[in-house]
Amino acid sequence: MIRLENVTKIYGTETVAVRDASFDIPKSQFVFLVGPSGSGKSTLLRLINRQEQPERGDVWVAGQNINELPASRVPHLRRSMGNVFQDYKLLLNKTVFENVAFALEVIGKPRHVIDRQVPIVLDLVGLADKQDRFPNQLSGGEQQRVSIARAFVNRPLIMLADEPTGNLDPNTSEGIMGLLDEINQTGTTVVMATHDHRVVNAMRRRVIQLDRGVIVRDQERGVYE
Amino acid sequence: MFSRIGYAFRETWESFRRNITLTAAAVLTSAVSLLLVGATFLIQRAFENLLVQWRGDVEMIIFVRSDASAEQVALIDSVLRASPTIIDADKLRYLNKTESYEEAKRIFAGDPVTLGLLTPETIPTQFKVVPLSDDPTLVRSLSDQYRTLPGVEAVALAEDEFEVISTLSNFIRVVTLITSLVLLLVAVGLIWNTIRTAMFARRREIEVMKLVGATNWFIRVPFMLEGLLQGLIGGVVSCGGLWLLNSAWTNGVTGFKPGTGISSLVVPDSYLTSVMFILLGIGAFVGAVGSAIAATRFLDV
Repeated sequence: MIRLENVTKIYGTETVAVRDASFDIPKSQFVFLVGPSGSGKSTLLRLINRQEQPERGDVWVAGQNINELPASRVPHLRRSMGNVFQDYKLLLNKTVFENVAFALEVIGKPRHVIDRQVPIVLDLVGLADKQDRFPNQLSGGEQQRVSIARAFVNRPLIMLADEPTGNLDPNTSEGIMGLLDEINQTGTTVVMATHDHRVVNAMRRRVIQLDRGVIVRDQERGVYE
Repeated sequence: MFSRIGYAFRETWESFRRNITLTAAAVLTSAVSLLLVGATFLIQRAFENLLVQWRGDVEMIIFVRSDASAEQVALIDSVLRASPTIIDADKLRYLNKTESYEEAKRIFAGDPVTLGLLTPETIPTQFKVVPLSDDPTLVRSLSDQYRTLPGVEAVALAEDEFEVISTLSNFIRVVTLITSLVLLLVAVGLIWNTIRTAMFARRREIEVMKLVGATNWFIRVPFMLEGLLQGLIGGVVSCGGLWLLNSAWTNGVTGFKPGTGISSLVVPDSYLTSVMFILLGIGAFVGAVGSAIAATRFLDV
């Protein structure tokens, strides 16, 4: 589903964010990218959804070399991916329902599809009864659920999560991880960047560890270390 | 498709309300500059009324009395053609009564009193003379000679009547054109800035839109529509202003003494209408350009 071949990403002239990274993530896998801040986890995610382009190497998504994709095709690539962030990136002037609906609206989905899909996905994340609230009327965990609902409402092949539990307490994190696990069970490939030992050790999934931009460990059913 | 159009209009309207002061500034600037552009057109057209009889390098007009006989007219014609080295015989034109009256209607467009005194029967006919020589003294000496021919009512020289107006009209045209171009550039800049501000205010939404795979055009269109609308509204305001100005001028002009030439400086309504359409077009264009630059510049994937 996702394959990196000797990918190097340099910011500016000399800051090497990722050096010669290669890995292959099959469909429906759940993968943790771990490592300290600045080790290149976020950059890897940004390379996968083509917010960044590598200086060297190729990134393949669903059998396509996305670095050869013309700019006009990038939006379509992104429709096959959901993105979740540490800071949720919710629109504060929109309700829960509107935030999730927004993701469908801006890719031109008709109203009747939106009205059918949004309640289903809100039900999945357990916020069916809070669809008319605004983000600042919700707890951090609930806001993250909204953002997961928004990422998942278009049924993406891939879910990219950048420190989704970074702002949450352990109990809430557990709930969020359960949700991501559930989404993974539906066949969605999940790539999650984190430095949260607890969730990595509890889940026991594939772990790719980075250190200063270099992959130093790639282990099935790994722990954080 | 309909939901997309609806989306674009909703977003445009929202952004308009949120940015009301900047929007007003952009609209007013484009209105003022467009008003100047329109004024340039009208002034130009008004001066043309005065210059119409001198069009095509005509330097001398020989007015023939309306009661002159055909023999007298033929004589004048042959005398004019007798100086082929000074007068361009190929360009020599004779305007009969109907043609002269049509021309008078433009010259006295704002002077109904004088125009009323003229009828197609009593109007002098005229010879339009294009000289070959650039030497004004030569033409002038000829004119003295023609004045004495039978049937000639008067001889007018462009040098006496035309040059001042021509220079004045050129000067006014250049000044208003430059001023309006500068103001149009300012309007583009202001619209650009308004759109940039609107985009900055909504950068989170734009970020989310990009991440969920909205196309660049989908993101851009509401902003470009907003700029286009600002230019268009500026155009509408300028049309209103131009109409007011022109009405005031046209009404005021009748107060001038007839025959001073000032009363010629009016334009027909049909011309005013076409200028208004041009202003709306320029307004929309200016708005589209300003916002397109902003939307492209600040929307790199």
